[in-house]
Amino acid sequence: MAIITISRGSYSKGKEVAEKVAAQLGYGCLSREVILDASDHYHIPEIKMIKAIHDAPSILERFGRGKLPFIAYYQSTLTRWVQKDNVVYHGLAGHIFLKGLPHVLKVRVIADLADRVASEMKREGVSEQEARTLILRDDQERRKWTQSLYGVDPWDSSLYDLVIHIHKFTVANAVDFICHAANLEQFRTTRESQQKMDDLALASQVKAALIVDHHLNVAVTSEYGNVLVYARADDRATHKLKEKAKTLSREIKGINNIEVHAGVSMPPDAL
Amino acid sequence: MSVIIISSDFYQVGREIAKKTAEALGYTYLGREILGKVADKYHVPESKLAQALDESPSLIGMSSKLQNRYLAYIQEAALTELLKDNMVCQGLAAHLYVLGVSHVLRARALSDSEKLAQQWASQEGVSLKKARKLLDRRKNLRRRWSMDAFNLDETDPSQYDLVISLSQIDQGEAVKIITETVSYRRFSPMTYSIKCMEDRELASRVLAALLEKFPDVRVRANGGTLVVETTALKREKRKRAEVIKKIAGSIPGVEYVEVHVINDIFRQAAESFR
Repeated sequence: MAIITISRGSYSKGKEVAEKVAAQLGYGCLSREVILDASDHYHIPEIKMIKAIHDAPSILERFGRGKLPFIAYYQSTLTRWVQKDNVVYHGLAGHIFLKGLPHVLKVRVIADLADRVASEMKREGVSEQEARTLILRDDQERRKWTQSLYGVDPWDSSLYDLVIHIHKFTVANAVDFICHAANLEQFRTTRESQQKMDDLALASQVKAALIVDHHLNVAVTSEYGNVLVYARADDRATHKLKEKAKTLSREIKGINNIEVHAGVSMPPDAL
Repeated sequence: MSVIIISSDFYQVGREIAKKTAEALGYTYLGREILGKVADKYHVPESKLAQALDESPSLIGMSSKLQNRYLAYIQEAALTELLKDNMVCQGLAAHLYVLGVSHVLRARALSDSEKLAQQWASQEGVSLKKARKLLDRRKNLRRRWSMDAFNLDETDPSQYDLVISLSQIDQGEAVKIITETVSYRRFSPMTYSIKCMEDRELASRVLAALLEKFPDVRVRANGGTLVVETTALKREKRKRAEVIKKIAGSIPGVEYVEVHVINDIFRQAAESFR
């Protein structure tokens, strides 16, 4: 019983692998559903949401806080979905959004560029040159996105538990590897790991709710339902934040206690 | 009946996994133990061979020409052994030169960096932050080494069939995954894949013989036919081709040698200014 995240590039057969793993293990399979739910829940047009979480931030967005609200909404929705466990997620940045959870098996599926180009040519009816350009641009966009927002390279193998190269291996082999690994003791959901998951989901929900209310300079942690909100704000804004926190403790399920700390440094593991 | 090449971000981690894999499968382990033999064969110090496998060329250290030569000697010895099949190879950079051979499983094991940093911190008596920094530096140096030596980034996952991180998956489980994987039919040697391996082995023998005299040569083999590329001044072309043909032709297994001499424009320009 685990959560499996499958990171993939376009045309790397990761989607096929994810669907087959989900079918074999009897898990749910998630990808686009998260975007749809996030845009519905936070009243954001789907296209805007997709653009925000797919495209790398522009120079102006890097200086402002352009994409951060969308990412908070997305993470909040994703953690709510995967909290139920037994899920295969093959959408964006699962390995980053669900970092630090022991029962999450993080997999990356890669394929040779030549095979990916051939698939793109077949599907889109474009020339080899065009197909190559499209794939490389998409890869570059993903790389820039992750690097600019999280300072990590999605091509870095150390972010994953397994990296499977679909070349000598078939999709069926990859499915076998993943199912085998998912059944290992290390990836079983324990009470402690589920608690961590619940805390992450709770912190994500609180952060998203605060951002909706225009409290942008906040970081949130949660431990056994005790939520700490760290803020960079003046007295007036802190007062407002405390009022909002009180409301949230009634609105969001699972909060035991919520505290607001202003003017203290934000912990590195806070959301 | 296949060959497994194991790479790791830390030599010791890769070595442990390779040894356990060889033991589990009843294969032969091929590691740095062969450096002694290589040193005897080519009359070079064993420590220099190990240095060529670990350090990038530098002004105060080893020159790139010397490193290339030592690596060619190691490559020749490793490929000769790998022809025997049923081998688990590690620590000889084989993942960077045994390319395009279908019966070779190339796996990489990534150590648990956090655990290693903690070990280092307690062993060396430094802070955890400093230990992490040192580890990162070592990883970057290793990456630079692979780029300098073989023009390939060894951290690039597309160089491997499988990359296993040991943060959550333990060594025993990694060994199990590798041993099960190698039993797949596609890792059985085929006539063509054996020929590919033989071609690489022949090319490596010729390269090792030529590098001392011609440090810029590149060698490709197809059956018994060799294609050797080198650079020379216009007036030296003929003579150089003859010497290469003579040296390469004397190596067992070589039937025909084709030498492509490219005009050395830099030396030519330097000479014209004299």
